[in-house]
Amino acid sequence: MTNVHVIGVGMTRFGKHPDRDAADLGAEALLEAISDAGIDPRMIEAAYCGHVFQGMVTGQRILAQVGMAGLPLSNVENACSSGATAIREASLAIRAGEHDVVAAIGTEHLTSRFSGALTPDPSDPEAAVGATMPAVYAMRARRYMSEFGMTREQLARVAVKNRKNAAANPLAHFRKEITVEEVLASRSIADPLNLLDCSPVTDGAAAAILVSDRLAKRLGKGRTVRLAASTLFTGSVDTEPTSMTFEPLTWRTAQAAYERAGVGPEEIGVAEVHDCFSIAEVLRVEGLGLFSQGEYPAAVERGEADIGGRLPINPSGGLLGKGHPLGGTGVAQVVELVRQLRGEAGDRQIAGARVGLAHCRGGKAVGIEGAACTVQILVR
Amino acid sequence: MVTTTDQATTPVSFRPGEFEVDPDGSGRILGSRCRACGAHFFPVRKACAGCLGTDLERVRFSTSGTLYTFSVVRQSTPAFEVPYVLGYVDLSEGVRIMSQISQCDPEEVTIGMELELAVEPFGESEDGTPLVGYRFRPAGAESRR
Repeated sequence: MTNVHVIGVGMTRFGKHPDRDAADLGAEALLEAISDAGIDPRMIEAAYCGHVFQGMVTGQRILAQVGMAGLPLSNVENACSSGATAIREASLAIRAGEHDVVAAIGTEHLTSRFSGALTPDPSDPEAAVGATMPAVYAMRARRYMSEFGMTREQLARVAVKNRKNAAANPLAHFRKEITVEEVLASRSIADPLNLLDCSPVTDGAAAAILVSDRLAKRLGKGRTVRLAASTLFTGSVDTEPTSMTFEPLTWRTAQAAYERAGVGPEEIGVAEVHDCFSIAEVLRVEGLGLFSQGEYPAAVERGEADIGGRLPINPSGGLLGKGHPLGGTGVAQVVELVRQLRGEAGDRQIAGARVGLAHCRGGKAVGIEGAACTVQILVR
Repeated sequence: MVTTTDQATTPVSFRPGEFEVDPDGSGRILGSRCRACGAHFFPVRKACAGCLGTDLERVRFSTSGTLYTFSVVRQSTPAFEVPYVLGYVDLSEGVRIMSQISQCDPEEVTIGMELELAVEPFGESEDGTPLVGYRFRPAGAESRR
């Protein structure tokens, strides 16, 4: 079975794009990825497009914008893991031997579809009693504070760190650093989470070109990054109430990825994790086994997760700083890791990074721990 | 037999598949119990996640629980007036139910507090019929009033 390699990446600036749409943004990202790969667009054999709220056949509208017709294309929806799922599907098509060159695109024009707090699907019994995504994470934050003694200031430092990283990322939604005091003084959204603990409503798109071993040798020009694992799981149905301060779904998805890639968590040199809220980053990195349970807040305080720290987390700025265009997010994480591993990350470059991990987790459905979780491991 | 009087007085549930309202105005949250392994689920399921058996019975859950965690929600959709307290309530059957916590000062809500089911007005249907739904309130809140 062939390995899968990323030979080109592209992404739009993340932020508010009132005069554009999801297809337009997706097309810009795809064209940049093709140009970065240095390939003739006619070599692309298939495409997958991840988005959540953009309506029917958004992926086909992207291909039409760039003159690429006739390809097999699937639109995939897995809530906030939609883009990451597109990458996984692309990698499976290559592993299966069906295609040698596949494009994965993630896009979202969220500002035209949504404002305020994201909620589960209206059909869900929890949406019917007032569930919002910030409230769900706020409840987990309160429980985590109660169990592990995390302070409100420690939680704020996650957002401060990611906004600092975003300030060094020209494509990030937010370019201004914030302070712990500003996080604490920002408007309460769902106690104990404030506005600056929450990822913004963002428009943006990202794309990656994935190839087989054979094509990587021919086209790679020494810039390929190997996608050593791309795993996806759905949360289990609880048969009894379980801890909400640990993520068995993240753990299971990560363990499968470590096994597939043949690397352990101690070998990860940089990670992009799904920090839709400040508390989410805490739960993610501990579920991934990158930090011990209960210890991440103090590690952030000591600077261990900074660029230049023991294990930089979300050097792109993460969802809190770079922004969170739902479908675009999972692909944008891979764009960041590819640029980090190639040494092309500019002011936020992590010295000597060779193995990177990306984690997405999206969706809320009653009775299951999480809807869709993905882990990608990239090796240079 | 449903009489005209019953139709006029029995409150209408906001989600009949998940919350059953009796003619006396009391109500119970509905779920499933696996007859093979005894596991309980909310909402009603078609198969058991524990043993994958399909011999499930519909059950009415107990009306008391313990608060696992909570948040005071200050930004929500237009369907909900803010602020409100949202929590996860653990029932003795081994299910965790998300519910609003009512009839108390948000400042007095604490993890681990004992709660009881409350049937309360919960919006209205598209044709304007008032609906009732479930919330939880501190245990004994009714008798203290």
